[in-house]
Amino acid sequence: MTDRADLLQGTLDLLILKTLVLGPLHGWAISKRLRQLSDDVLEVGQGSLYPALYRLEDRGWIRAEWGTSPEAGGRRAKFYSLTADGRKQFAAERSQWRLFSTAVERVLKAT
Amino acid sequence: MHPSIRRALRRLRALTHRDTLEQELDDELRLHVALEAAELERVHNLSPDDARRLALVAFGGIERYKEAHRDARGVRWLDELQQDIRYAARALGRSPAFTASAIAILALGIGACTAVFSVVDAVVISHLPYPHDDRLIQIYERNSPTNQWPLSVADFQAIEQWQRSFTSVGLLRQTLAPVSSGGEPQRMPVGYATSGFFRTLGVTPVVGRGLGSTDDAPGAQPVAVVSHRFAVDHLGGDTVAVGRSVDVDGVAYTVVGVLDQRYTNLAGRYGEVWADARLAPPERRGPFGMVVVARLNDGITLDDAARDLERVSRREFVVWQATFQDHDAMLVPVSLRRVVLGEAPKTIILFSAAVVLVMLIAIANVAGLMLVRAAGRWREVSLRAVLGATRARIARLLVTESILVSLAGAVAGIALGIIGVRVMKVVGPQVARLEESHVHVHAMLFAVALALVAGLMIGAYPVLHLARGGAAGGGGVLGGERSVGGTRRAHALRAAFVVAEFALALPLLAAAALLLNSFVRLQRVSPGFDPAHVLTMSVALPSGRYATDTAMSTYWTRALNNVRAVPGVAAAGLADQLPLSGSNLDENNFDLLDRPVPAGTAQPVTPWTVITADYFTALGVRLLEGRMFTPTDTGGQHPVVIVSRSWAHKYFPDGTAVGRKMVAGGCTSCPPLTIIGVVSDVMYTSLGDVPEGAYEPLTEGWGRTLALVVRTTGDPAAAIPGVSAALRSVEPSVTLADATPMAERFSAAIADPRHAASLVAGFALVAALLAAIGIFGTLSYTVSMRRREIGVRLALGAKRQAVTGMIVRRGMAHAALGAALGLVAALIATRWLGSKLFEVSPADPLTFGAVIVGLLIVALAASWAPARRAAAIDPAEAIRAESSG
Repeated sequence: MTDRADLLQGTLDLLILKTLVLGPLHGWAISKRLRQLSDDVLEVGQGSLYPALYRLEDRGWIRAEWGTSPEAGGRRAKFYSLTADGRKQFAAERSQWRLFSTAVERVLKAT
Repeated sequence: MHPSIRRALRRLRALTHRDTLEQELDDELRLHVALEAAELERVHNLSPDDARRLALVAFGGIERYKEAHRDARGVRWLDELQQDIRYAARALGRSPAFTASAIAILALGIGACTAVFSVVDAVVISHLPYPHDDRLIQIYERNSPTNQWPLSVADFQAIEQWQRSFTSVGLLRQTLAPVSSGGEPQRMPVGYATSGFFRTLGVTPVVGRGLGSTDDAPGAQPVAVVSHRFAVDHLGGDTVAVGRSVDVDGVAYTVVGVLDQRYTNLAGRYGEVWADARLAPPERRGPFGMVVVARLNDGITLDDAARDLERVSRREFVVWQATFQDHDAMLVPVSLRRVVLGEAPKTIILFSAAVVLVMLIAIANVAGLMLVRAAGRWREVSLRAVLGATRARIARLLVTESILVSLAGAVAGIALGIIGVRVMKVVGPQVARLEESHVHVHAMLFAVALALVAGLMIGAYPVLHLARGGAAGGGGVLGGERSVGGTRRAHALRAAFVVAEFALALPLLAAAALLLNSFVRLQRVSPGFDPAHVLTMSVALPSGRYATDTAMSTYWTRALNNVRAVPGVAAAGLADQLPLSGSNLDENNFDLLDRPVPAGTAQPVTPWTVITADYFTALGVRLLEGRMFTPTDTGGQHPVVIVSRSWAHKYFPDGTAVGRKMVAGGCTSCPPLTIIGVVSDVMYTSLGDVPEGAYEPLTEGWGRTLALVVRTTGDPAAAIPGVSAALRSVEPSVTLADATPMAERFSAAIADPRHAASLVAGFALVAALLAAIGIFGTLSYTVSMRRREIGVRLALGAKRQAVTGMIVRRGMAHAALGAALGLVAALIATRWLGSKLFEVSPADPLTFGAVIVGLLIVALAASWAPARRAAAIDPAEAIRAESSG
């Protein structure tokens, strides 16, 4: 198995928002998308995923709806999608992250 | 939607739809695991079972995530509260002795508080049963800050005519009168009221109508309103009462209305029949004795009304100046609530203070118990800490436990309170409206609130201790019980609780002892006569045949002769009032011819009793100087008067009073009265009062109602049938009432102080008991904690008495310190009791000494058992047990 990195504090929200930009997903699909997008480097502890989903819902950035999932053989699944606030929040967090990571990169590059 | 509102709604949903949400979470997580397993199965070619197991492992236990999720959802506290309650109940169940004693102690405190609160609620906080009762006043006449009396018809009419402050004014004359609704007449309270009286109070009958202004008009048919009880007992019920005729003192009244059940009294005056008052035009300023009530206009304050009434007084004074010269006498308004509730608040404050002290002692006691318990289970608490329970969680658990205990105490306390209110109604002092008190919802809420406060106070220390890091390290676990419960701070705190208990108990015991002391003295006061073998009775003649003075005097003379002839009767006399009549006493003003009061100032007043010559013999009053009345003392141009010893001593301290002259009743044109004799003192108002008094012979104006006083040779109660028959033999329709041996009147006169003293004494005993339990518990704990040390001392040759002494000294030191602090508090607090005490100083050294000694003896007794146990410790065993444990 590939080496896996622990998520930095606070980045999970950003990553979940990112996975939802393309459209509604249920919980397991979010974790799978994260794994795929990071080439199996980022593994979301499922224990943090669901509380995080609830937290994001609570803040009004995502909304949850029950639907059926084709991949689960038509079983009931809870789909999460971005709200308008969520999109704004995602944009804000993304630019902040970029600012932060560039700064960290710059520090590490310095001789 | 605002985010915070949305969030609140979500939380609300989380609470109300807990099961649905829980189910949804479960579904979601199950789906996750199923999908993960399917993926593993597909990608890694695993068997379905292995895949599922791996998926579960990867997930890490569904329950744990549910918990984390619940946390985020904000309902975790509710689940934990349930757990806490379950756990606390289990923990309490494991130590039944502690739980039972804590609940019992709290129940005592809460029960006492609830009972007194219920009475306070009914007597002080509740309203009088009239609309806007705060706007109601009664008007009195007052000539000095301490002397006031009710009004006369002349006053009432002056107010009605000239006032500018009231929406309405009403008059009531209350009396006892023979009432008949066809059968034998019975004497009962009757109120003669103007229509304005009902209008002012805002009372309308539940059946029929009230007295209207047309009923006051001259020539109108006499009408009356009756009480619910009268309608049921005498007229066949509420609904059929209207239209019936009721005979009151010889006048037939048509019943026009029936009052609601709750109106047993109006403006504080009891009455069964409320007849319309026919006010004859007054011929002079007096006689006084009428209740005049008024309702304040909107925006008028009591001060405004007082100024208005002062103006009316000055105007009225001019009208009656010829016969009424006290121009200091002013009409004054007094709030009706104050009139009706009277002295009640002071008694109530006394009881409230007493129960608050009992409650505080109970709390200190249970807090002490809780400390001991906390020490004993420190190992368990530390273990929980080590196993990962957060400090907040442990703290909550401990508080839950103490609140659970105190709520159980509240339930038991409410039950005790219900019993307590019943008991107070039976043995409590006569407090206005006491009969209306019950343990209502208010009182129950009060009890629960009290329990919550008590629970927090009781649980506070173990929690605070925790906050200081008591459970943080493993020290608690490794060090066993001694390390935490045995800290110096905890010891000091337990000692402080004991000191506080004694400090609180002492003022209560002091108050009880002072009241009891005062009561005993009051009981020893001689009423001025020998109450044994004396029978008293009220006798009233029907008005029809006894309209003239001659007819009345003929009856009374013949009746007295018949009574004297009854076997077992030694003497019989008549009077217009009896000793120990309380505030209903007739008084008269007088002016000494030798030393008249300066013009414009108030004349002195004294109890004024009109008697037949045999009254003194029958009562056992002795002649000290001069002579008794004789049949020739018939008033006329040479009226005579006899005065009491205290009266004579007060007004003629240097010489004899006999032969002096005075005018009475402000009648300047009447011939002056000559003092012909001085008799021993009789207490007319109450036992604690100054026994002044004056007597006039009963020669004319006999009246239809008089009090009969009979001296018997045997048991006075046994003479009642014979005496009654003798009175009826002259006139069969005579109304007899209140046939009572004098000794009973005497004990009724001291009933209130007796009740107050016994109730406070009850509270004080509870307090002393709780303090004793407190010291016993603390010392027992100390002994068990110091077993090893004591064992070592004994092994090293310490005498067993020395060990006993050490423990007892420790207990006594706490008790003595508490008593000393309590003494200071008591000396300040009991000063307030002053007016309730008779011949006892609020700082009476003997009483205080006795209380302190008593309390220390209680402390000694409570310390003795633990001390004996300490002395009985087997050194070898104690040392061994400790080193292996």
